[in-house]
Amino acid sequence: MKAEQNGTWVGDKDLTQDPDFMEYSHKEFNEYLPLVDSLGDNRSIEVGASRRDFLKYLGFGLGAATIAAGCETPLKRAIPYVIKPDTIVPGVATYYASSIVNGGDFCSVLVKTREGRPIKVEGNDMSGVTKGGTSARAQAFVLSLYDTDRFRGPKKKEGDAFVDASWDDIDAAVKGKLNSRSQIRIVTGTVMSPTAQKSIDEFTAKYPNAKVISYDPISSAALLRANGTDFGIRAVPDYHFDKAKVVVGIQADFLGTWISPIEYAKDYVENRKIKDAHKPEMSRHFQIETYMSLTGSNADNRVQVKPSQVGSSIVYLYNAVAAKTGGSRVRGGDVPSEIAKALDKVAENLNAHRGESLVVCGTNNTAEQTLVNAINHLLGNYGHTLDFGAVNYMRKGDESELISLLHDMQEGKVDAVFVMGCNPAFDMPFGNTFAEALAGVDLSISTALTEDETTAACKYAAPAHHLLEAWGDAEPKKGHYGLIQPTIAPLFDSRQMEESMLVWAGSENLDVASEQPYYEYLKKSWEADLFPSSGESSFRAFWDKCLHNGVYEVAPTHAEITFSGDVNAAAGKVSVVKASEHEITFFETVAVGSGNSANNPWLNEMPDPVTRCAWGNYLAVPLTWNGVNAFDGLNGLEDGDLADLTIGENTERVPVIKQFGQMQGTVAIGLGFGRTKGGRAGTGVGVNVQKWLTTDDEGLMQYITSGAQVSDKQGKEEFYSAVQYHHTMGVKGIDKATQEVINADEAATVFNTYFGAVKQGPQGSLVERSIIRRANLADVEGFVHDLVHEREHHQHLNDQSIYAGYKELYEEGHHWGMHIDLNACTGCGACAVACIAENNVPVVGKEEVSRHHEMTWLRIDRYYYGDVENPSVVYQPMMCQHCDNAPCENVCPVNATNHSSEGLNQMAYNRCVGTRYCANNCPYKVRRFNWLDYTAADLWPINERGIDADADVPWAADNLTRMVLNPDVTVRARGVIEKCSFCVQRLQEGKLRAKTEMRSLRDADVKSACQTACPTGAITFGDTNNKKGDLNKKLSSPLNYIVLEEVNTDASVNYQARIINKDIDA
Amino acid sequence: MCCNPLKVRSLSILLLLFTVFSLHAQPSAEEGKTLFRNTCAACHNKNMKADLTGPALGGTEENWADYPREDLYLWIRNSQGMIADGHPKAMELWNKWKPVVMIPNPDMTDEQIESIMLYIDQEFNKAPDVVITTGAGSDDKSSKAFLYWTLFAILIVVSVVLWRIIGNLNHIAAVNAGETPPEQKTLFEKFTSKGAVSFLIFVLVILGFYNTAINGIAFGRQQGYAPEQPINFSHAVHAGEQGIDCQYCHDGARRSRHSVIPSANTCMNCHRAVKSGSTYGTAEITKIFASIGYDPSTDKYIENYNTLSEDTIKTIYTKWIEDQYLATSDKTELDSRGNLEVKNQWEGIKSSLTNEFKSEIPGPIEWVRIHHLPDHVTYNHSQHVTVGKLECQQCHGKVEEMEVLQQYAPLSMGWCVNCHRQTEVQFAGNEYYEAYGRYHDELASGVRDKVTVEDIGGLECQKCHY
Repeated sequence: MKAEQNGTWVGDKDLTQDPDFMEYSHKEFNEYLPLVDSLGDNRSIEVGASRRDFLKYLGFGLGAATIAAGCETPLKRAIPYVIKPDTIVPGVATYYASSIVNGGDFCSVLVKTREGRPIKVEGNDMSGVTKGGTSARAQAFVLSLYDTDRFRGPKKKEGDAFVDASWDDIDAAVKGKLNSRSQIRIVTGTVMSPTAQKSIDEFTAKYPNAKVISYDPISSAALLRANGTDFGIRAVPDYHFDKAKVVVGIQADFLGTWISPIEYAKDYVENRKIKDAHKPEMSRHFQIETYMSLTGSNADNRVQVKPSQVGSSIVYLYNAVAAKTGGSRVRGGDVPSEIAKALDKVAENLNAHRGESLVVCGTNNTAEQTLVNAINHLLGNYGHTLDFGAVNYMRKGDESELISLLHDMQEGKVDAVFVMGCNPAFDMPFGNTFAEALAGVDLSISTALTEDETTAACKYAAPAHHLLEAWGDAEPKKGHYGLIQPTIAPLFDSRQMEESMLVWAGSENLDVASEQPYYEYLKKSWEADLFPSSGESSFRAFWDKCLHNGVYEVAPTHAEITFSGDVNAAAGKVSVVKASEHEITFFETVAVGSGNSANNPWLNEMPDPVTRCAWGNYLAVPLTWNGVNAFDGLNGLEDGDLADLTIGENTERVPVIKQFGQMQGTVAIGLGFGRTKGGRAGTGVGVNVQKWLTTDDEGLMQYITSGAQVSDKQGKEEFYSAVQYHHTMGVKGIDKATQEVINADEAATVFNTYFGAVKQGPQGSLVERSIIRRANLADVEGFVHDLVHEREHHQHLNDQSIYAGYKELYEEGHHWGMHIDLNACTGCGACAVACIAENNVPVVGKEEVSRHHEMTWLRIDRYYYGDVENPSVVYQPMMCQHCDNAPCENVCPVNATNHSSEGLNQMAYNRCVGTRYCANNCPYKVRRFNWLDYTAADLWPINERGIDADADVPWAADNLTRMVLNPDVTVRARGVIEKCSFCVQRLQEGKLRAKTEMRSLRDADVKSACQTACPTGAITFGDTNNKKGDLNKKLSSPLNYIVLEEVNTDASVNYQARIINKDIDA
Repeated sequence: MCCNPLKVRSLSILLLLFTVFSLHAQPSAEEGKTLFRNTCAACHNKNMKADLTGPALGGTEENWADYPREDLYLWIRNSQGMIADGHPKAMELWNKWKPVVMIPNPDMTDEQIESIMLYIDQEFNKAPDVVITTGAGSDDKSSKAFLYWTLFAILIVVSVVLWRIIGNLNHIAAVNAGETPPEQKTLFEKFTSKGAVSFLIFVLVILGFYNTAINGIAFGRQQGYAPEQPINFSHAVHAGEQGIDCQYCHDGARRSRHSVIPSANTCMNCHRAVKSGSTYGTAEITKIFASIGYDPSTDKYIENYNTLSEDTIKTIYTKWIEDQYLATSDKTELDSRGNLEVKNQWEGIKSSLTNEFKSEIPGPIEWVRIHHLPDHVTYNHSQHVTVGKLECQQCHGKVEEMEVLQQYAPLSMGWCVNCHRQTEVQFAGNEYYEAYGRYHDELASGVRDKVTVEDIGGLECQKCHY
């Protein structure tokens, strides 16, 4: 197979015309009915029916209907408030500004509540950090509030199990066992909150032998240490990706997971959007990495290195930059010639943009971070693209202290351990030993919300509030404060973590008698620290303003820095991973992160942007062209095979996915899976790989290692849940008989060649599908010319419409449309999760995903193109295109799907009888069928009272989880089709707002959920009839195209072509 | 009073200037209506003729005609202040109405007060409300139907008689002609013949299917549903006799999809003053007190009401009922009838405020829901009330005449759709509808005489189903 491919491809199977794949790619549904054959024995449903059965059911049905008709209508109650709060109007959403601090993530948000229930989060535009953007994890955060595994109240250990306790019990136990001589350890993640820090300080003041150990599950300790020694500031600098013309990422997934991805993605994309197609400008992005990360997939040039070459590559890059900028050279940096060549190019680009380039490094090695600091210093980037003004406080931890804690516990030197919202027994490679040692400590308390691995080893569980029930603050960056306010009264008998700390410290500053003690404490703290410099007239005014905005920001102070790093010493201490046959990288996944979101079904079901695998971590193995007809995976492994992965003495059986862009001799697998106490959704999903992490000489966690052994095929995964071959479109194939290129998606049409006319369609339009349009920056001019020509051609082909006259109708009132900028889309998946939250899209589980039954209305297709060994990637959010000539509509036998005068492709669920003709006829493959009762909408006991989950009901059928449902959207039942509605409930609401206020509709009235979730502004929704609106501005770009425009669907969604700025010499 | 001429002159100049500047802020009855609804309607009857918590406002201007206009303004802004100052008119009103205190409206401008006066005048002098005519003529229709059925029956009888006569004549003719006529069957024989019976079965089956279909379609609909409610609340008294505006209690209708069933604190706005009802005395109104925790004897809300035992609650409210019984019956001690009355009333309170899911008396009043749409239907009150400017009665019927509330409309899709076909969109003055430029042109040129909801897409599925 030649290395360079002209088209795009989804995976190796469509690239190599795999016969099996070709066979089913034209089928919307890849399996045959009856479904019962493919369902296990445990899920018996009666599907087959004889005539006798039919009569039986008919008779029963009639009888039941008669009896039901004779029954009284069930009494429905309407329960008003006793005293209605002024701020709540039933039926109208109330928004509260708050912040999400989860693990190391920060996101400033507006929480949408209905009748007192938080149901959705939106980004907060007023934040200078996240600037209105969100992430998939932030969007899914609201579901964790209704986690059925949450503790219902405080617990104490009796024997091996937790039993109910009261807060007085716990407080008495703590106060009884602690004295000023007690050796106390407080284990916590990064404490972003200044006020929480105060409460911890009060505690340590009371107990002088208390020591705080803070660590980050995915560590950036080396970066902190290097900055501490090189500049005297132990903090993550403030990166300005928007000011960088050349961005170099080294093992840093800054668009997906690294430190502050929402902020970085927003800034990064500023320089990636093509603002003027006639004078195109954009930054250039190099990524040096050992696996295909989300960031690497967005890069213009990707330099593949093995884990054993990371350290030397950084040294080489330093030397190359030093040679050009006059810095001192250091020893080392032996890299193979092809990497050397690529790194020389990187250095050349960096040198050409001194002061406007940026190198970021995600490795956890102090020496490497020092060298990267030196590179940025030599290039004069400090003060321009990164500075120490508003430094980032999202990572402050250092995991090396955990090891000493482990030893202290084992030696019995510790009297008490407080675990504050973190899970070291899972996060750390020595987790099991840690848990054992912890169990031996006299007093151990965890404030976790659920019984996780660490909490299970503790004596007491003192569950904290969920963040949406709690007061709090955060300082994600210096001078950027975020407030956290409760959006619902605590669901269970939990207690604010900080309040517990203050109670145990016996703080005098905590007014225990007040209704919300920590609220008063927080206010006092802000009044003392922030109010004096705010310039507001009264604290009340200041507080109300902050509470309203959710943020308070002060201008960053300029920090003078001098570089005092020792590059020579550093060069000798870069990571030395021994070269071996298979080297491995452990990476943080975009969805579940370090594993603290493992119990969130929305995130579990979100496919990884790059591997496209849901529900579990898959070992990404490289593939090679066998010279005949296929790409073979490592050791002959195929997608979904199980293989044994052995590192050192540990062996795990892992499922495999063949990953393009994975370098030969390397493999990679995600962290944060294989929880043993992850809760109902999280336990047992994927494989725990944390145990393979190693520490370096400084005690820092390393995420690359060598000596991995991968076996050959050991079986098939029972439910292989990668979605990359689901819902494919535009697949080209070769007709075996005629050897002609045909459209495999619509083989039925193409094979029907009686008149010789159809075959490839007019001008080959049936095979040359316009799905992805892309170009290199240097070729934009010619590309635009070709694109315009091509589109004219399509429009000419389609100017004969059988729907003549409809256009006139659409010009009246509104006509909704959307624009998606493929250059701004990084594939992060925030939109996909936002869509699930907004539209009550059901979670189907691993088994159903494996059968192509995922229900997502919005999927993000990932296509490869270019070099087969190291391809470029383009992400395409794909949802219902709301075609004005919709192929789905005219095949519906019951008219359940039809068109509105506003250009919406409407779906009336209650009219749908489930023929699925529409899904079959949809060229974009965006219609989803409710094969089973995923939402448990058909269950009877839906009106039971109480919010406690009943163990017998399926997930999402319990009343606690149902609290997350959006009351404006119907919960669909089994047997109906559903799909993207362009968030019609928001459109109706926005129109009504405009009508009530007697004014024209504004862009701000109608924003789809995916649009508001997007951190980079890739999606623009609006009324195409509003000539002054944002949408029409975007629609004027000559880079726009419509997917499958040639088939005359007249879609309402425009895509802006993907342009990359590849250095073609590199 | 000091009479510094300069001061007076400058004041009058100021006043003049003020009048000039405020010319563009002309008082209007329209504005007055809004103001009245938001501020006054809680206590004053909107028909301006009957007293409510506060006096009827009709004729206010005449009543105050003897005093300067400013006094009236002052009275409306701060009545208690005027009473304290001993203003004669104020004292007169206070003596008549105390202890009912009028809520002060210190921020109300002169123009606003004038607007309200205009509105009061307009309402006071208006001819009695025209009865909403929806559903009118139904009596007419039913009498016609009766006529048709009678005619039909008469015709059937006549045709049977004629048919028999023809048969007999034929028979006679045949006999006269000397032929052997076919054997003549009796009427009974004819009606029990195979053909007739099969025909009858056929008709019955058709009718059966028709009936099943019609009932199937109507399954779950409950037009006319009038369940017993936990409180015998009479819309006829509140909305009819007292003339309280619908949206005073159902305050969601103008701004939310739900019209909102009022919370107990809304009831208390009036029932702090009206503690005993005209029909049921203390029996029903005490239920509100018991729900929210208000002690009518002491005129105070009970602290920590939720934590009180049922016996304590019982003591509080039975005492109130007793006192009221004694007060109205001129007795000094409870007689057996009184005991029974107290017992019954307390049991009524208890059974109304508790049910199989709610065991405690404190807490919300759980009304029985009457209007209920399936989950896949979205209906928004504010769209219809605020934007469409529909009267509540159009869908809910003459609620102000209903002693027990019942569902007036079928709430079927056909019923909704029909209305959307006929109802005109409130185009005028709403800038939102500028988006429909062609309709505006057509209206202007006379090609089109109206734009209905259907014309702007009101029959499309996803206007209601999403």
